Amino acid sequence: MKKIIITILLLALAAGLAYAQGKDIKQITLPNIQTELAPGAGKDKVETLCNICHSVDYITMQPSGTKAQWTATVTKMKKVFGAPINDADSEVISSYLAEHYGTAK
Amino acid sequence: MDEYRLSRRSLLKGVGAMAALAATGGIPADLFASERMARFPEKADLQLLTARPPQLETPLHYFKELITPNEAVFVRWHISQIPTSVDLSSWRLKVGGNTDKELSLSMDDLKKFEKVVYTAVIQCSGNGRSFFEPKVFGGQWKNGSMGNVTWAGARLKDILNNAGIKAGSVDVSFDGLDRPPLASVPDLVKSLPVDKALEDDIIVAYEMNGQSLPMLNGFPARLIVPGWYATYWVKSLSEITVLAKPFDGFWVKTAYRIPDTPYGCVEPGAAPKKTIPINRMTTRSLIIEPAIGTTLKSDMPVNVTGLAFSGGYSIKDVIVSVDGGKNWGEARLGKDMGRYSWIQWSYPWKPERPGKYILMAKATNSIGESQPFEGLWNPAGYLWNKVEKTEVTVRQEGP
Repeated sequence: MKKIIITILLLALAAGLAYAQGKDIKQITLPNIQTELAPGAGKDKVETLCNICHSVDYITMQPSGTKAQWTATVTKMKKVFGAPINDADSEVISSYLAEHYGTAK
Repeated sequence: MDEYRLSRRSLLKGVGAMAALAATGGIPADLFASERMARFPEKADLQLLTARPPQLETPLHYFKELITPNEAVFVRWHISQIPTSVDLSSWRLKVGGNTDKELSLSMDDLKKFEKVVYTAVIQCSGNGRSFFEPKVFGGQWKNGSMGNVTWAGARLKDILNNAGIKAGSVDVSFDGLDRPPLASVPDLVKSLPVDKALEDDIIVAYEMNGQSLPMLNGFPARLIVPGWYATYWVKSLSEITVLAKPFDGFWVKTAYRIPDTPYGCVEPGAAPKKTIPINRMTTRSLIIEPAIGTTLKSDMPVNVTGLAFSGGYSIKDVIVSVDGGKNWGEARLGKDMGRYSWIQWSYPWKPERPGKYILMAKATNSIGESQPFEGLWNPAGYLWNKVEKTEVTVRQEGP
């Protein structure tokens, strides 16, 4: 019980301090949520390159795509958004995506 | 659970809503779903689409309420460097470009303009995208990238007139505090034609349901373009620029476009010949209770309840079918919160025989816009407003 009361007092103090330091400041900390990709050739490239701009749940969320659809998506990431992916890596990534998150086995 | 229900019931009564908890006897379908849930700062447990940048969907049970609470409103950011800290003592909303003078408005300055308050549906352009057939890439939203919120803020028109729009202005662009992860990624900047920007109802909102905005919903202020899709409702607004030339940024010129055809649709799989920027929302309705997959008892009266809204025109009527669309009856509409709000509706039903039933609802607005029975298709998965089918099972009432 004592412990609980002390904890409550400390929390109240901390809250008060935060308020005193600046009621005009709002600050949040985003959670670190990771999504595990299917094992396979190319996974490391996807994790390294796609992750520069977005979490890989952008991949796992998508409907099953054809190889052509995934290739078009990787091309869009390069041409439209400037993703630093060379041609060899593009092929590796598109194949990986089509195999594990697509229709093209 | 009982306590929860009790408080929910009294709350419903409090906002004058319908008796949404009538004996539907089921657990909401979204409780069964296998979605990943995530709790972000200032937000409730929401369905996780993506973590970075965050895209979070509202579970359907929140839509039993007329107003969606701030912590439940969906989250959708485009580029990953999103604001996580804002100090109001240094935050300023800059207004300039083709104007007589430049403004640098603090929050106190913003609050000196006349305060405008109304309730409006906020809805992502891609709400319902996961229902498209053939499927399209993009955020796989179900029906939860929408909410009904009471906004308060300063009229954009008043701010623009304070700066003084020069003759020959064409567009007004809006930038927020979010920044691209690479220099090559286009910053999220949106624009409106100057005539649209000067409409009375567009505001720079600093309150959501009477409180400051959650960071993830655009603290400290966001643009509200009621009746239009939320792609224009730029979050954490920092800069408004009046332009003498048409805006040519990526997020208007290339992205968020719909086919320039009636209903904004093309043959499934086809590429549109010409596109225009997405704009007003289509008319929609949704059955909230009973939820999909609910089991009901025969001869037990239930209230089929839901919501309906359109892109800035009042809902004229909602018709409901409990037999898969063969017969229709008119639902009773709830409290009218204005043309930008959704309206709740209810339809009393007593299923007499056991079996499977398909419930459907179809809304029509005051200018005759309604909903299609088949999904209309466009390549980006926007404008979804098909008449949905809610299948429920009726069992013989036991002893």
